[in-house]
Amino acid sequence: MLELRHIHQRYANLPLLQDINLQVAAGDIVALLGPSGSGKSTLLNIVAGLQAADAGSVWWDGQDITHLAPERRRFALMFQDFALFPHLNVLDNVAFGLVEQKVPKSEARNRALQMLGVFGLTELARRRVWNLSGGEQQRVALARALITEPRVLLLDEPFSALDADLRVALRQEFRSRIQAAGMVTLLVTHDEAEAREMADRSVRLLAGRLQPVD
Amino acid sequence: MTLIMRLTASRGLLLALLPAAALLLLLLAPVARLAWEGLDGGLGSTAGLSVWQPWLDNYLRWRVVWSLAQAAITCALALGLGLPLAWVLARFEFAGRALVLRLLMLPFVVPSLVAALGVLALWGPRGVISGALGINLQDTPWLLLYGNLFFNLCLVVRAGVDALAQVNARQVAAARSLGASPWRAFWRVEWPAIAPWLMSSLCLVFLYCFAGFGLALVLGGQRYATVEVEIYTLVAYELQLGQASVLALWMLLLTGAVALAYAALEKRLAAPLRSLPMPRVRPQGAPQWLALGLALAVLFGICALPIVAIFIKAISALGTGATGLFGAEMLAALWNTLRFSALALLMATLLGVLHAFAAQASVAWRAAAFLPFVVSPVTVAFGLLLLYPSWTASLPLLLLAYAVLAYPFVAKALSAGLDSLPVHLGRAARTLGASPWRCFWRVTLPLLRPALRRGMAFAAATALGEFAVTLFLSRPEWATLTTLIYQRLGRPGQANLDAAMVLACVLMALALAVFLLIDWPAPPLGPTHDPRRASGLSSPNRTAPYA
Repeated sequence: MLELRHIHQRYANLPLLQDINLQVAAGDIVALLGPSGSGKSTLLNIVAGLQAADAGSVWWDGQDITHLAPERRRFALMFQDFALFPHLNVLDNVAFGLVEQKVPKSEARNRALQMLGVFGLTELARRRVWNLSGGEQQRVALARALITEPRVLLLDEPFSALDADLRVALRQEFRSRIQAAGMVTLLVTHDEAEAREMADRSVRLLAGRLQPVD
Repeated sequence: MTLIMRLTASRGLLLALLPAAALLLLLLAPVARLAWEGLDGGLGSTAGLSVWQPWLDNYLRWRVVWSLAQAAITCALALGLGLPLAWVLARFEFAGRALVLRLLMLPFVVPSLVAALGVLALWGPRGVISGALGINLQDTPWLLLYGNLFFNLCLVVRAGVDALAQVNARQVAAARSLGASPWRAFWRVEWPAIAPWLMSSLCLVFLYCFAGFGLALVLGGQRYATVEVEIYTLVAYELQLGQASVLALWMLLLTGAVALAYAALEKRLAAPLRSLPMPRVRPQGAPQWLALGLALAVLFGICALPIVAIFIKAISALGTGATGLFGAEMLAALWNTLRFSALALLMATLLGVLHAFAAQASVAWRAAAFLPFVVSPVTVAFGLLLLYPSWTASLPLLLLAYAVLAYPFVAKALSAGLDSLPVHLGRAARTLGASPWRCFWRVTLPLLRPALRRGMAFAAATALGEFAVTLFLSRPEWATLTTLIYQRLGRPGQANLDAAMVLACVLMALALAVFLLIDWPAPPLGPTHDPRRASGLSSPNRTAPYA
């Protein structure tokens, strides 16, 4: 279980996050709603370990991991712009995390190829990432995030870079893949329809505080 | 904040130690020593030198005024020719356009002495053109102005092309729909957008021409040599160190003032917003084709013809058997050029990398990389001569001076590369399990490689063609290709001129090899990371090599 306890964060001397408390159990998808600038992405960065909170702690299965380096948390973060590595092809992008786990390169590539097969992207394996469509880039980013079997999947506006039709079409696909992987998932979005369709429950970040959404 | 690990001020300071020591000991301290000599009224002076002497003495005043005038005339010519050329290259689509843009980089890697010989090969005594036309341009200002344009026209054209590419097509369309003719739309919308970039490049042109040495030494002759040449003459031949230091002090003040103007312009040039660029069109009708043809002809005539002329002269010299070309003297010079450049490049790369990473934590430190561009090589060499008189014939000092003059290219290219790295890539790597070091090794370094390679190539070109510092600090047995060319030029007779042409051809071939290294097609890194942009050398607000 992922737990956030009393997270506080200030930005430009103004309170951005105030006493944030949240629990997400394994297999749950929680949507974090809120307008632009409300601190959603900051909270995600704090959970990922990319940013230290001014106060509060992050817990995993009863252990305080607040000061654990991001690479040791096994929390995969998928960015709004997908953050695919432009110097690597699709296959090596997906294999990146496995190589960091000391999996031999050839085996990492084989497993990445299998993962691409699951996502229907096998024929794109050798392509450069900027030659892909938005939907393909998004699938590659999700495959890259899931291949290391992370404990937590953090999604930062994963559909915002896509056009409206594709966004709707991919939501269901995403949900089923994430559910199949069965991990804690925190989805940041400003789109209520997206939150309803993707998540088991939603919370809203407003004026720095978390509020449940009915 | 960039992809690299967050640099704290203390880490930045630690990284900056070595480049800071190099700048202090090899640039600032010599300059301070020289300034002190200038203000103090002069080493070995018997005439009670005044700091105002360059303005009181007719001969010296002419040198200063001419130095300023030739730089100003070059700026005017470069703008007058460069703007239409840039417009044609930015707006017309034609076969070979990418190649032309790439070739615009060529003069940046040509050593100034080679350029000077190129101009002589064209317009000098028995030059390819002057010989055919039966004219003699020796002892006129045209040779120097032509040489200045050879280097600087490309700089202005590149700045113009890049600036025009940032003009927002929607704004121009809005102006046209509001009743502006194409000409009025250019003056009222395009010109205000590109003018700051062009002015910034003109500051550099002025700086390079005003503080240039090699071209003025060879092409200026007795009457049209510049202050830098006068300083060298006073130090090397007349031992008038006091007068030389007063002149050098004025050079410092004047170049410093231009550099400040450049810095002020740079500050005003904010990063462009993402805009819809003007589409390029194929030329329509005879006038547009004529404009394109004319533009390419002017570019070829000014920026390529001197290089072609060197090859023609060298080949004909080889045909007549130019004397002693492949003897021990030339081989030793070639060997010295290669090993000095390689060692200087190693040191420059180390200094440049440290400087660039330290600059991520400090804006002021980033600006410090510009210092070696502001102080002319002659000033640096003269300052070193004054400050470290017992080390003037020391190879380490010579190589360190090379490195200090060359390392800003690495630092600036790498800084720009670091700036253009998307922050999310590093974060993604960290959440995928990469430690900060692994993140650097697997993501940052591969993405920085094009910028690093380009910076190193410019640094190598600077070291290969270095001339001023070598003249001041070198010993006869350390002669490089540039000093050997200069020696041959100083000896009478056609055979020596022929030999100089062949040597220049060899140096040019080395410079071309470096040029290919710069623009060798690298695997593209996609639209999110343009290596040309990341190098910081294609953008108009970046420093171009010293001409």
